[in-house]
Formats: sequence, structure tokens, C-alpha cells
Amino acid sequence: MHLVELSRQHHGGLRLDPARIGEQVARCHMVPLVISEFRRALADFPIVLAKSAETGRFSPYALMGLSPEENLFWDGTRLDAAHVPLNLSRLPFAIGIDQQPDGAVRNAVCVDMESPLVSESGPEALIDGQGRDTAYFLGVQKVLHELLSYKLMTEQFVQTLADRDLIAEMRLNIVLESGKPLVLTGLYGLDEDKFNRLPDATVTEFRQHGYLTPAYAMMLSTARIQSLIDRRNRAEAGDRAWFQ
Amino acid sequence: MNERIKSVCVVGGGSAGWLAAAVIAARHRQGHEDDLAVTLIESEAIGIIGVGEGTWPTMRNTLRKIGVSETDFFRECDVSFKQGAKFTRWVTGAEDDFYYHPLVLPEGFPSLDLASFWNHYAAGNEAVPSFSDAVCFQEAVCEGGLAPKLITTPEYGCVANYAYHLDAHKFAHFLRKHCIEKLGVRHVVDEVDDVVLDGKGDVAHLATHRNGPLAADLFVDCTGFHALLIGKALGVPFRSCQDVLFIDRALTVQVPYDTPDQEIPPYTISAAQSNGWIFDIGIQTRRGVGYVYSTAHTTKERAEADLAAHVGPAIEKLQPREIPIRSGHREIFWKGNCVAVGLSAGFLEPLEASALVLIELSVEMISAMLPATRDTMDITARRFNDVTRYRWDRIIDFLKLHYVLSKRTDSAFWEDNRDPATIPESLQEQLALWRYRAPGDQDFSSNSEMFPAASYQYVLFGMGFKMDLSERGYLVRDGVRAEEAFRRNAALKEKWTRSLPKNRQLIEKIREFGMQRV
Repeated sequence: MHLVELSRQHHGGLRLDPARIGEQVARCHMVPLVISEFRRALADFPIVLAKSAETGRFSPYALMGLSPEENLFWDGTRLDAAHVPLNLSRLPFAIGIDQQPDGAVRNAVCVDMESPLVSESGPEALIDGQGRDTAYFLGVQKVLHELLSYKLMTEQFVQTLADRDLIAEMRLNIVLESGKPLVLTGLYGLDEDKFNRLPDATVTEFRQHGYLTPAYAMMLSTARIQSLIDRRNRAEAGDRAWFQ
Repeated sequence: MNERIKSVCVVGGGSAGWLAAAVIAARHRQGHEDDLAVTLIESEAIGIIGVGEGTWPTMRNTLRKIGVSETDFFRECDVSFKQGAKFTRWVTGAEDDFYYHPLVLPEGFPSLDLASFWNHYAAGNEAVPSFSDAVCFQEAVCEGGLAPKLITTPEYGCVANYAYHLDAHKFAHFLRKHCIEKLGVRHVVDEVDDVVLDGKGDVAHLATHRNGPLAADLFVDCTGFHALLIGKALGVPFRSCQDVLFIDRALTVQVPYDTPDQEIPPYTISAAQSNGWIFDIGIQTRRGVGYVYSTAHTTKERAEADLAAHVGPAIEKLQPREIPIRSGHREIFWKGNCVAVGLSAGFLEPLEASALVLIELSVEMISAMLPATRDTMDITARRFNDVTRYRWDRIIDFLKLHYVLSKRTDSAFWEDNRDPATIPESLQEQLALWRYRAPGDQDFSSNSEMFPAASYQYVLFGMGFKMDLSERGYLVRDGVRAEEAFRRNAALKEKWTRSLPKNRQLIEKIREFGMQRV
């Protein structure tokens, strides 16, 4: 990855090929989410919490595979899901944090110059003939804006869950149709029993902060684990058929 | 006589006092009207000794039980990780002479007797790694200066078993805050003018300077070397063990780090000297270093010179603090309605960090056995005394073991330590048995054991003790399981030395991000 700050001067002629996202997504089994997209993610993905290897802190993710480097939603050309998480649709762009010498922090739009999406033969451009942002680039900006707008609220939401001891490890012991056992570790979710015993005052506080909907989205999304198992079983059955 | 036990008064506000108050209150104060009343009285004038800076892994469970966050503990008590002790120059006194007593048990222990196989392979073969290195991955982790866990490991969880190094003054302060704010312990700051006994020899109340008489049903004497209740008021005699353990003086200094990012060794260093040994404990902000020695064998001047040689140029700005060590303990620890915990109960050189762990075990036992009535207290006291005496005896044996196994001949101190007349019979018997087989759980069958057989193995074989397995050679003939265990250990070493962070690096992350509770 080679992130550089985007500028009209240097990157006005940049060409992009969104179809090449597969090279980044195909082996990605978890994608970070922001709180505003939980509702949309719920349609397809279990929404889980996992720890950052750097800080140990929890962040929410859409679970897309049952093993590392496995994406059960990537069909070879597209992500087979109603909602593409913002952290995928923003690629190859990212929001960088620029620490000024005076200590002030500024957000900057960056582009990963080593991403396969940055391609001279790509169909998309950032700026059209009249010097205006293209519809494609306006779309990217909207995605980045949403990510930035909900970053803090997402962190606060997860921190609140941790502070209230509402997070529990999900211990999933799965047996696939092939008979193969699968143990998933390092995934966390809401402890429903504890959540349902929260005092009224806390529930009111959660409602005021807008935490109830995402909390229920997380709890309900565990039903999607079965869809992942189904996808995995279908994929393995397909593989077996291929070799017979 | 059927007086109910409704109140406990802890006397003294050092580590022992606050741990006693915390452990008792965490169990017996549940937020109900009939809760046990727990009071701690401490003096403003008398400071705390604050010598206990190394813990056992038991402290993790103690802290969890009293409900403190391990993150807060790290942030407020300058805590660092301890993964055992590195003993340097204890065996021959040579420059490269060292061995580890790690906190992770030997691979396969206790179902597999790897020690016997190691002895078998190591006999006459220089290429076989040291015992602690061959059977346990923690030595490699320590030598790499690595932490025992990852930032993703939850509070109190571990990759490799660990204990703590801490600032004893900050620890007492930290526990005080928790006891008062969270556990409902009543805190009285006052001087105790007198301990007043009733007609039956129980402590009736403390006469205090400003708060009048302070009565309680049970008193916990945590008054340190003063032993105000158990010694002065109740006259329980002190039993010296200086005929076994010769160390009677400590010279301690607090050494600042050269740079703020200086590495913190994740283990206690115990460096043998001509007439004692030096402990070197790294916490976040400084090292705590002390020479504990025998005044019968050396002079203070000589000891200061040895300490200076260990510390280096930094010693010039430091003034060593002198602490007398009277090795030994009370004849009994619980008399009438008073039980002694901490330095008032006894003290030994800190060779195996036994001070804080004895406090934890004692207060846990007091809390769990807390008698409901005065007439059942004497039964409780008798049991407490038996168990606690057993523990002191085992610690004394284990400390003596380090001296008995040394081959140093550079001073009378080491020679005298090997004089059979100074070795407790219980230890002599164990050593006689271990000439022919490795220490095992069968040697330590009490519920009140201090050190597991594995600890004895680490010290024995780390110090070059040789077993004669010829009579039981068939036990080490089939090495398939042993070789698997050695390979597993090698794989763990490879894995964890590659993935664990540096000790200071993890501590800084804990300060910045905290650890998760799950």
C-alpha cells in the first residue's frame, strides 16, 4: 500500500478501473463497518466485533468468510450482496489523518497508488473535460464523507458496549456438511442476556444516543452466520462436483 | 458464649492491610444491611515499609476477585510484567552462570515426567539445552525481553503465565481508593495509643488518639514490624529462622532509567554475591535494587561496594536505605480474636517473592473461614495456624534449597550455608529422595502447598543437581512422548518469540489503549 494525498494538480489525469476490486476483496473475510450502514449490512452479513492487533480495541466488521482469506460473497466478478460496505466501495481511496506541525489534525483524501484499481486503461476518471468532478468521483466523495461522519459515533458506540461489559466472545463450533469441523475464534458479539437485563436508565441513555438500533442489528445479524455456512457448503459441494 | 462476628478491624494501611480489607470486604460486603462491617485504621505518622514489589501469578486472581481493572492497576501502580526469576552466578559464581525459574510449568507437566528424560539426555551431553530452556518456552521469551501476552489478550488472560512488579506505595494507595470507593470499607486515620484487652485475653478495642475506643469482633494485625497487637499486646513470641537463612540486612536503592525507553526485563534478576544476593526489579519508572546480605559474613562498607558495582555510575547520586531483616515468624499467627498478616506475622528474604503471596493466601483463608461466632473462632484459629505454619516451613525449605545447591566456594557465607546442621530435616529428606527420582506432585500433597513440584525441578536442575536413574532406567527408555514434548516446546518458543511484543512496548500500549475485559 502506498497512500498519497490526492491533489488536482498531480492526480487530475488518474484513471480507475472499479472492476478490479476483486483482487482486493476476494481474499478478505472481514470488512470494517460504520454504524450508519449496520441496517444495510444486516441483509447479508453477520455484524461482529474484532480486536485491532495494534490497539486491542474492538471495531465492528461485516463477516464475509468462515476462514481467514475466504470471501464467500465474491462470485468472481462482483460482491453478491445487497449492500457493499463503504470500506470496499471507497477503494482505492481512503481518508488520511494529517498531523500539522502545530498539533492540529486535518483529514485528507488519499489514494493508494499501488492498488490494482489505479489503472491507466481504467474506464473511470476523477475529472471530466470541463474540469468538473465526474459522477464516479462524486460517488466516492459521498462514501468517504459518510465514513468520516460516522467514525466517531461508531467508536463511541463500541466503547460504550465494552465499558458496560456487554461484549462476549462468540464461540462457534460449526460442522460442515462434509463433516469437517470449523472453529471460529477472535469474533465477539453482544451478550444478549446482559443486554436484556440492562437497567431502564441505561436503555433510555442508549436510545438517546442512537445505540439501540445498531445494537439490535448486531444481535439479529447473528442469524446470517447460517447463510455463510450455507454458502460454504454450496461452495464445497461445487468443488466436489468439479473433481468427480 | 455465642457472640456473633459482625465487624472486622484491620490495623495498618500497607499492602497487607489494604489487601486484607479488600479481600474480606469483596466477599462479605454485598450491599445488604446485615453486611459485615470492615474498618481499616492507619496511622498518619507511621509510614509503610513498601518492600514487597514482586508478586506471584496468584495476584492476578486476587485483583480480579476484588474487582479492580488490570488496566487501572498498570496505569496507577507503575506495574510491569514478571515471568519468573533469572538467577545469575548462584551455581559456580562464573560470569556466564545463570538459570531460570519461570512461571510456566514444564511441557506435559504433571502427566509426563519430562525432568527424568531431560536428566537422562543431558547426562554427559553438553549439547542438550539447559533444563528450563528445554522444557519451557518462557525462558526464551524472557531472554528476548518480551511481554507474556498481546494487546488483544484480555485483562488477566495470558499467553505465558505471569506475575507483576509494582510500586508498593502506589499499590497501597490504589487499593485504599478501591476499598473506600467500591467496597464500602470504613477508613479511619488515627494513631493507636493502646490495645485494650478484655478479661478473657481478647482484644476489646483500640484506644485511639482522636476517635476514642475502636471496637471490633475480629482484629487483623497489619502493623508491620511493630506487631502492635500480636506481639506487643498479646505477647506471641517470635520464632527466628536465622540458623537456617543467614540474610539479616538489606541495602536498597531506587535506580532511575538512563532513558525513558530503556528496556524493562520481564523477570526478576537475582544476582548472587559473595555474601548474599542482589534483587533487581524493573517497574515502569525505575529499577528497585537491593543487596540482601549476612552481617555475620561481611561489612556494610563491603556490601555498599558490591551494590555499587551492580548498579553502576547511577549509584553516586543515590543514598541506599538500610532495612534490618529478622528472618522468622510468629509462633502462632491467630490468637484469640486477632490474626497477624504481613510483616507482623513474619519476614523472609525476598528470594522467591513470598511476602505478598503469603498475605494473599492468609487473607483469602481468613475471608473464606470467617467464623460466624466467637465460640467457633478458636477452631478456625487453630486451623489457620496449622496451615500458615506449614506454609512458612515450606518457604523456608525452598529458600534454603537455593543455598544448599550452590557450588560456590568463594566465601564462608556459601560454605556455611551448606553445613548440614543448618539444613532443615524436611529438606534433607526431600533431597535424599530426589537423588533417585524427580520431584513430583506426590511430594507435595497438602492443600496448602506453596511451591509446585515444578518449581523444585526448575531450581534443582537449574542448579546442576544430578539424579541417579540407573535403578529405574526402564522409566526413561521409551522417549517417544518426551521427544514430542521437547518438540512442542521448541515450536512454542519459535512461535512466541516471533509474535510477542517487547515488555515496555506492551506496557505503553496498555497505558494508551487499555486492555479489554474479554
